Amino acid sequence: MSEETTMMDRRTLLKMMGAAGASATVLSACGSPSSGTGQQLSSTTGLTGAEFGQSVDLATSGPGGNKNWQPGDALKFLPAERIPTSGPAADRLASLPGERLLGFYRTMQASRVWESTMKDLFLAGDDGLYGAFHAYIGEEAIAAGVMGALRDDDYIASTHRGHGHLIAKGGDLNRMSAEIFFKANGYNKGYGGSMHITDMSKGILGMNGIVGASYYMAAGAGLRAKVRGTDQVAVAFFGDGASASPYYFSAVRSAVNENIPVIFVLENNLQYMGVPVARHSPTKFVADYTKGLQIPHHIVDGNDVTAVFDAASAAVDRARAGQGPTVIEGITYRWYDHAGFSGARIGEDGAMRIPYRTDEEVLGWISRDPITRYRTWLLDKGLVTEADIDAVVARVRDEVDASVEFARNGSEPDAEAGVSHTFAESDAVRTQFYNRKGIAT
Amino acid sequence: MAEQALRIRKSYGYAQLEAVAWEMRNDPDMVYYYEYQVPISALPTGEILDLANEFGPDRTSGSGWPIDEQWIVGAAIGAATAGSKAIARLPSMAQIYAVEYVFNQAGKIRAMTGGQANMPFVLWIDGSSRGRGSAGQHTDVGAEAIYANLPGLKVVCPSNSYDAKGLLHTAIRDPDPVVYMDYPEVRSGQQPDVPDDPYEITLGQAAIRQEGTDLTIVAWAPATVDVRRALPEIANAGISAEFIDPRSLKPLDVETLARSVEKTGRLLVVDHGHYTNGFGSHVIAEVAQAVPGARYAKIAFPDVPGPGSGTMMEWLRPDAPKIVDAAKQLVRAQSA
Repeated sequence: MSEETTMMDRRTLLKMMGAAGASATVLSACGSPSSGTGQQLSSTTGLTGAEFGQSVDLATSGPGGNKNWQPGDALKFLPAERIPTSGPAADRLASLPGERLLGFYRTMQASRVWESTMKDLFLAGDDGLYGAFHAYIGEEAIAAGVMGALRDDDYIASTHRGHGHLIAKGGDLNRMSAEIFFKANGYNKGYGGSMHITDMSKGILGMNGIVGASYYMAAGAGLRAKVRGTDQVAVAFFGDGASASPYYFSAVRSAVNENIPVIFVLENNLQYMGVPVARHSPTKFVADYTKGLQIPHHIVDGNDVTAVFDAASAAVDRARAGQGPTVIEGITYRWYDHAGFSGARIGEDGAMRIPYRTDEEVLGWISRDPITRYRTWLLDKGLVTEADIDAVVARVRDEVDASVEFARNGSEPDAEAGVSHTFAESDAVRTQFYNRKGIAT
Repeated sequence: MAEQALRIRKSYGYAQLEAVAWEMRNDPDMVYYYEYQVPISALPTGEILDLANEFGPDRTSGSGWPIDEQWIVGAAIGAATAGSKAIARLPSMAQIYAVEYVFNQAGKIRAMTGGQANMPFVLWIDGSSRGRGSAGQHTDVGAEAIYANLPGLKVVCPSNSYDAKGLLHTAIRDPDPVVYMDYPEVRSGQQPDVPDDPYEITLGQAAIRQEGTDLTIVAWAPATVDVRRALPEIANAGISAEFIDPRSLKPLDVETLARSVEKTGRLLVVDHGHYTNGFGSHVIAEVAQAVPGARYAKIAFPDVPGPGSGTMMEWLRPDAPKIVDAAKQLVRAQSA
């Protein structure tokens, strides 16, 4: 990272990464399922095509298996500037009514604006916010595409980077904001905070502070659906880092073995904390790990909501039909640091000067913003009008602002509530005090 | 001035890596594996310890191994069983993944093989804290009680940089598995000077941090931080408190603890771990058997997952005001 580049105007750099510069600077591109330009990379041929009614489609050498990965190499995996306007994925999404198309937009926009607003509040410091915050910004197309293929009564198990999942599954922004403020009117009444916000009434089995905790949660929920004879499906979200957990292989293997209606959705943002996926995964794609299990594996452009929706729809159809699990890997990128907002600024996108990556790669990926790409796609295809989108944007802004006020007006939890909710029916003993009731006066 | 300069010279983390580096330089078979805690630290003078670079990929985890704690611990225990001194370093919330292999292999192989196998293995846990904002899985303190309950394991809990380095040397050289609990709360604040040369702190040797005659307070990292905050006010209340930090929990220096309680007649244990079966219960059980007739009390974090809200968390912590209150009531109760 040269000093010259860091000084360069962000707009100029972004422009360079866009239409004019992308094809020249980007070494290869990651295709979407419908692009048709990708070269098959699956290690087991025969796992693609009509057999699963869905192409497994890939166009890059894959980020994994490269011990020589250097900061900046994430630029090699930039998708094309625009998402395809024709092909099966485009057709599938375009066949939905305009209201639903705007719903996808609203989901991504709400996630983006809500998290960006929280980021700005953390950085401003006026609200005294504290605690871990793992921003999903940049990865919104995966949550929107997957949840768009689910029903309200389906289950999801989320991660520490799961605000976007919650919003896409119908989470209430007011109660989310209040939880970030650790207020009593938050989703978790102040017990959980960012990493644990959840709404069990919407089939969300929790965000989770433990890497790799989602596989069994979702697989178990899928078993319950089988036991009860419903056609519900369950989705486990996880990151490239979590794929290293032995739980991953264990859950996928047993889900195949027991034919469980579960979908494993890998959000490969190319980095776990400060370690690039290339250095910790020996295979081109993380999804390659389980290809020997003979189930569909869709490796898609994770910043293309049409591609994610397409893959997720195929996986959901398959699971509902009693045909078992699917693995989906979306290649995407985290705009911010692993946790918190070092290198970030109020009102600006992305965290800069993070030691394990370059500003160019961050800006390159920002230039492949899934929301902007979807907006362009919608307008190019004439599916909605600019006014329609503007109305969604304005409504989201109002909803997010209102949620911040809701949080600010909420009350602090009662300190003594700290001994509640560990068991269903009794409080824990106040063992922090000599006389168990409190400090003697 | 010179003393001040010396004090800020070496960070807690540097002191620890200094111990590891010395041992690795003197034993080419020794290995050190970790997840993302890349072992690099620098002195203000510019001197850098970079263990991954110095010892290479097979003896270290380089720039970080995958998030697979079973692998990190398993590989280290495998190397140790075959004869290498080995360290596995894990973050707090993930340590439980390691328990199976530690439980079934590290602590048992020597006995199961009739004494054939050595297990020069150190499980280094980057502990958590009772801090606000993380909630549940990232707030657990007190896992030393779990490890101490397992046969074949030794457990240490350093509470300052001097002990941290000395106990690490001792743990690495010990032919048996040692769990090294490294809690973040003890890293800040004023630290003792740390010698550059290697030194050991004998396991099972408690440190008397303050002498007194009315009351014995026992706490180990990180409760030592709260006890230190409470001591001035306890003194202001006219109570002469003796403060003992066991440093090594297993083996435990029961003799030093018992001698103190024989003198004071009262023992207050402060435990940041959960109450039920926390290590403090064992401290009281041991001392009570040695000193019948004394008065005993324990305050500990309740049996609840740590909440995210700072308001709730602060109330739940057995912190300085609660320690002062407990000290006063314990002394008052006996005199009444």
